[in-house]
Amino acid sequence: MSTQKIEKEAASQLLDSLYLDMFHLIEDHTQSRINIERTNASGAILLARTRFQQGGNNSVSVAQIPTKNSTEFNALCRVVSASDEKNGNEISIERHAVEKSTGYVEPLNWFSVLPPMSLRQAASTFKDCIELLAESANLQRQLDAIINNISSMKQFIIKQ
Amino acid sequence: MALHSAIKGKLISVIGDEDTCVGFLLGGIGEINKNRHPNFMVVDKNTAVSEIEDCFKRFLKRDDIDIILINQNYAELIRHVIDAHTSPVPAVLEIPSKDHPYDASKDSILRRARGMFNPEDLVR
Repeated sequence: MSTQKIEKEAASQLLDSLYLDMFHLIEDHTQSRINIERTNASGAILLARTRFQQGGNNSVSVAQIPTKNSTEFNALCRVVSASDEKNGNEISIERHAVEKSTGYVEPLNWFSVLPPMSLRQAASTFKDCIELLAESANLQRQLDAIINNISSMKQFIIKQ
Repeated sequence: MALHSAIKGKLISVIGDEDTCVGFLLGGIGEINKNRHPNFMVVDKNTAVSEIEDCFKRFLKRDDIDIILINQNYAELIRHVIDAHTSPVPAVLEIPSKDHPYDASKDSILRRARGMFNPEDLVR
């Protein structure tokens, strides 16, 4: 009986610490989404500036991006997971150099042969945003794992 | 052309409005594979909800995708499908768009977190 009581107390303490971790992760998660929103908005403004400078809404639009009928090409940035002791199963972004012969094309050239400065800045802003997304995905996975742990711990305490 | 052999890493896919897709494609996430399947979908006012849903399900099934980005306003349209996806891979990230700012109360993961406090609010 007393062992059961000790076990229940330990489980409750663990549950408290899990809740605390969850609070921190919620805060970090929300902050990372705010950062994404800010970066995204800056990128959208730069795209709008490019359209304004080039005179016309179709200068930077879906009309220029490849479709199903276009030639195949590879993504320049990919998600790699660093499954080591230090980083756990965290993901990071790895960029490949532009190499047309192997299918790594420069996206800026879809829009213009000589891309204006604002479009280059927009591309750079969205590259930063992709890094923030990887960070956000890591936080989301951690949060998901904590929520699952809390659910299991609650079930355990109820059963006791 | 065998461009896709032995490529390290997984893809980020995107379902979003014109600016979101153009922006992230500029960032270098876009790919069209040998089966001519793109990892992006541009949603406009004429796109049916069923098309968004089908595309999202297709991305979920692909094993070369690690992150699915979706504008939060379109995620709202297929909320039941997003809520049903519980696996951590691929991670579904709801991102704000130019016209719709991020609303934490609509985010699937934060709604689950909130459910840890109020069992009545727990949707699943």
